[in-house]
Amino acid sequence: MNHLRDWQKDSLWALLALLLLLALPLTSPSRVVVDFIIRLCAMGLLATSLNMLVGYGGMVSFGHAMFFGSGAYVFALMLQKASVSVPVALLTAMLACALLAAVIGAICVRLKGIYFSFLTLAFQMLLHSIIITWTSMTGGDQGLTGGIPRPVFWGIDLSQTQHMYVFCCVLAVGGLLAMRLLMQSPFGYTLRMLRDNEDRAAYLGVHVWRVRLYAFVLAGVFAGLGGVVMSLFVSGAFPDFSYWTMSGEAVFMIMMGGIHVFIGPLVGAGLLQIFNDTVTRFTPYHGLALGVVILLFTLGFQRGVTDVFRLFRKSSAAAGKESL
Amino acid sequence: MELTALLECLGSVSCIVTQSSTGLIIGALLFLVAAGLTLIFGVLGVINFAHGSFYMLGAYIALTAYRLTDSYALAALAAGVGVGVFAWLFERFFMRRVYQSDVLLQLLVCYAFILILDDVVKIVWGAEFQSMGMPPAFQMPPLFIGGGVVPVFYVYLMSAAGLIAFLLWFTLTRTRIGKIIRAAAQNPSMTSALGLNTRLIYALVFSFGGLLAGLAGGLAAPVRSMSPGMGFSILIESFIVTVIGGMGSVSGALLGAILIGLIRSFGSIGFPLFVEGLMFLSMVLILVFRPSGIMGKAQS
Amino acid sequence: MSKNTSSDRRTLLKLGAIASAGLAAPFVSRAQNKPIRIGMPTILSGRVAMLGQASSNAATLEVEKFNAAGGLNGRKIELVIRDSKGQPQEAARVARELVTSENCEILLDAEASSGAFAVHEVARDLGVLVMHSVSETSSLSADPKVRTPLGFRCARQGIHDAIVGGAYAAQVAKAKNLKRWMTVSPDYAYGRDTTNEFIEYLKFFNPSVEVIGDVWPKLFQADYTESVTRLLQGKPQAIYSALWGGDLTSFIDQASIYGLFKDREFFAVNMADYAVLTAVKNVPNGLHSGNRYLKSFPNTPANTNWCNAYQARFKDLPLNWAWQNAAAVQFLTTAMKKTNSSDGKKMADALRGMSIDSPFGNNGKLTMRADDNTVVDYAVGWGALEPKEPFMAKPSPGNWKQIAELELQWKKRKSFA
Repeated sequence: MNHLRDWQKDSLWALLALLLLLALPLTSPSRVVVDFIIRLCAMGLLATSLNMLVGYGGMVSFGHAMFFGSGAYVFALMLQKASVSVPVALLTAMLACALLAAVIGAICVRLKGIYFSFLTLAFQMLLHSIIITWTSMTGGDQGLTGGIPRPVFWGIDLSQTQHMYVFCCVLAVGGLLAMRLLMQSPFGYTLRMLRDNEDRAAYLGVHVWRVRLYAFVLAGVFAGLGGVVMSLFVSGAFPDFSYWTMSGEAVFMIMMGGIHVFIGPLVGAGLLQIFNDTVTRFTPYHGLALGVVILLFTLGFQRGVTDVFRLFRKSSAAAGKESL
Repeated sequence: MELTALLECLGSVSCIVTQSSTGLIIGALLFLVAAGLTLIFGVLGVINFAHGSFYMLGAYIALTAYRLTDSYALAALAAGVGVGVFAWLFERFFMRRVYQSDVLLQLLVCYAFILILDDVVKIVWGAEFQSMGMPPAFQMPPLFIGGGVVPVFYVYLMSAAGLIAFLLWFTLTRTRIGKIIRAAAQNPSMTSALGLNTRLIYALVFSFGGLLAGLAGGLAAPVRSMSPGMGFSILIESFIVTVIGGMGSVSGALLGAILIGLIRSFGSIGFPLFVEGLMFLSMVLILVFRPSGIMGKAQS
Repeated sequence: MSKNTSSDRRTLLKLGAIASAGLAAPFVSRAQNKPIRIGMPTILSGRVAMLGQASSNAATLEVEKFNAAGGLNGRKIELVIRDSKGQPQEAARVARELVTSENCEILLDAEASSGAFAVHEVARDLGVLVMHSVSETSSLSADPKVRTPLGFRCARQGIHDAIVGGAYAAQVAKAKNLKRWMTVSPDYAYGRDTTNEFIEYLKFFNPSVEVIGDVWPKLFQADYTESVTRLLQGKPQAIYSALWGGDLTSFIDQASIYGLFKDREFFAVNMADYAVLTAVKNVPNGLHSGNRYLKSFPNTPANTNWCNAYQARFKDLPLNWAWQNAAAVQFLTTAMKKTNSSDGKKMADALRGMSIDSPFGNNGKLTMRADDNTVVDYAVGWGALEPKEPFMAKPSPGNWKQIAELELQWKKRKSFA
């Protein structure tokens, strides 16, 4: 494998993952697995896109769900009201998120630290207010009801479970691969440089504000892609998608999974989902249970799951083994 | 949008008096809650995301205390002290460990407590909403001041808020302990090197911030209904106030609270369906043009 | 009223444990004794947790009654209750899981608003019978784009409350010469629709009425000060509100100290609800309300007995959501008995147009209307409120013939019919 370039390695891993995912439903006739994976696709995209900002860029956004929600709403609205095909709706949703992120990002990325965080939160709540108030367009607090039409495109019929599952997996794996390639590219390393030492990067001629804005826009687009998947899952769109609780969930996913490893957020999303799905079955006091688990992670490990593995790997490498 | 209604109101003295007093009343309650949050941030540099839950706990403690003693004063006091003790323990065993960590880690620890407290409250007091009711002492007709109506209870609340604001200002600027606290806020290592116990100072300030939140919950209890999960909205409001006023500044919290109160009262005339949106818009504007808030130090 | 309901939680879990233990005994589980699993997504946490509690309590009580009477030829119902936390995407997930992995053949959907729509789409997608027992949004059954042949609703509708309330209030307005009205309702779909419909019918029955202003606080808003002062400034003679629960309680508390209710009539559609009636310490004079649930309305032994049984079991008084869920289960069990099966499609055919004996019916009966799958003939009425039992001494019940006529016209206006 060593003669392959990094991007080729990543692409192969992605292909392998996709094949595994596609094979998974064959092992069990139950729809639970399928539903779980589809939701994981949506949340995994959201969490990983957020980590582009948090882990790679050092920009802690409290309002990232605003793009998740925008993607869902634009996609659902295009299908419901404009009667376009699914690919067109998808592209429009991603474009809308890019535009929104460009406008909001241009204002936000100039701020640092906690002020950046608060401003993203404020914009998100502002957007949420607009969604709730603009009833004629968004359905207000009830969301978009009546289901979304799924016209057949390229022979794919999204009202059928298998097609829907494959489509979501392809979107998710594709999106994650794209994010991976971006983060391993010179742009990604510049972003890391800005995270670690902004002044130095500026001295080296890096246009700080611009790079951060690009990262913000890209993160917004991929969050919107996650929103599209979620919209397909619930067959609609709800204001909850753009509420700070959704942003909060994304933050927990990346903290639990690890912010220094690329698949950390995905792992965190999976763990949190498994936890959520099982605990709600046994007790109405799932808040208590989740709170205790979070405390264990934050006070006990003080880092995410994959970060623990990464440190373990590092220390065993430092103990004289072959470094990667 | 009903801008004509707004302009009409601005042209009428009685309307201005009523709306301004409304704004002050709303602001007084907001200040009571936000004061603790901004104090904790100002001295410790951490954002207490569990602040709303402290408020909720205070409200419930006041409810139970009132049911046991029939005394509003005791109830509010119990709320403050109870939450103050809880905050002390919270700081000692949990927050202290994440002072040096990422803000996300601090956020997570607080969020864990929000989740736990919401369920604890549900277990102890039940899921149904509870109401304390107005204590008989305040069940009297409202006062008529300058064409506007002001309930006696709110006069009391505003005085309480004013008193607390004064006490805080006085303590922080005119007393020795206040100087120590400000020193610990500005330069903890130096303060510690001078032989002062910064750990103790942090614990004191954090628990006092919690006390303020609990006290606010108890004081407002007669005019609020309590349910598990009521802390979230209080938290958001406190954020807006402290961000606008300046994180870390008590006078900023007072100004921010009054400003938000006025925006709400006049905004509900001009933009009746978008009052909440107005508040977030204000938050956006402040962060864009003066991120450190009205009373905060300007950012370089 | 008890504040501690953990014993009920334990009872529920015990019930579930016993039920699953019963399932495990191999030599007993022949096909005809296979339990009928009904999935029940509801809200058991957060601000609206009492909705889920009341709903699950009532449903459990009704199911126990059915099982104790022998079930369906020995087949007992197992109620599988799940918490959606009030998030619609979680409601969708929970509903799907109940059907696909928990083997639930029927969904009893005790979700509110957007959650109900989410579950509705899941039921449509999976082809499962769903009985909504909480959502009062008319479009769930009235809108032909939303309606499905396997989707039913056993809950009151805002439009019905509005027609009856409008008629009642118009009478009071005529008698007391109340011309200037203002409204204060929560700014979300239920609040807006209910208020607009009430005003529409108030004006229909009494055209001399004028609405001089409306106030729209946010749902769960804690501080109503600016709403109260705006109402004071308008100087209305009567005020209408669709506020409910804790919001209504704190609004009344806050408005009382302003003297808002002095020399004014207050029409609160959600006031006659035991949670509010027991929480509000200073019930103002001149208060009118629709009935959410009252032991005394309908004033029949059946209703009183049901209320006493509920209270004996759960220590709390039943709320609106409770009677709706009890009736929902009654509809389902009656359909099961009629078709002698638990097959959703067969049951749906039986449910359309079905009439059942019920303590909550206007004349002892509830009917599942055939053309839009929603319940009618339930006891709906308005009346003046007092601060003590029976709270509403002289309710004016709605006339269902009139309600149906006006509702049809309303549907035509909305292009639903």
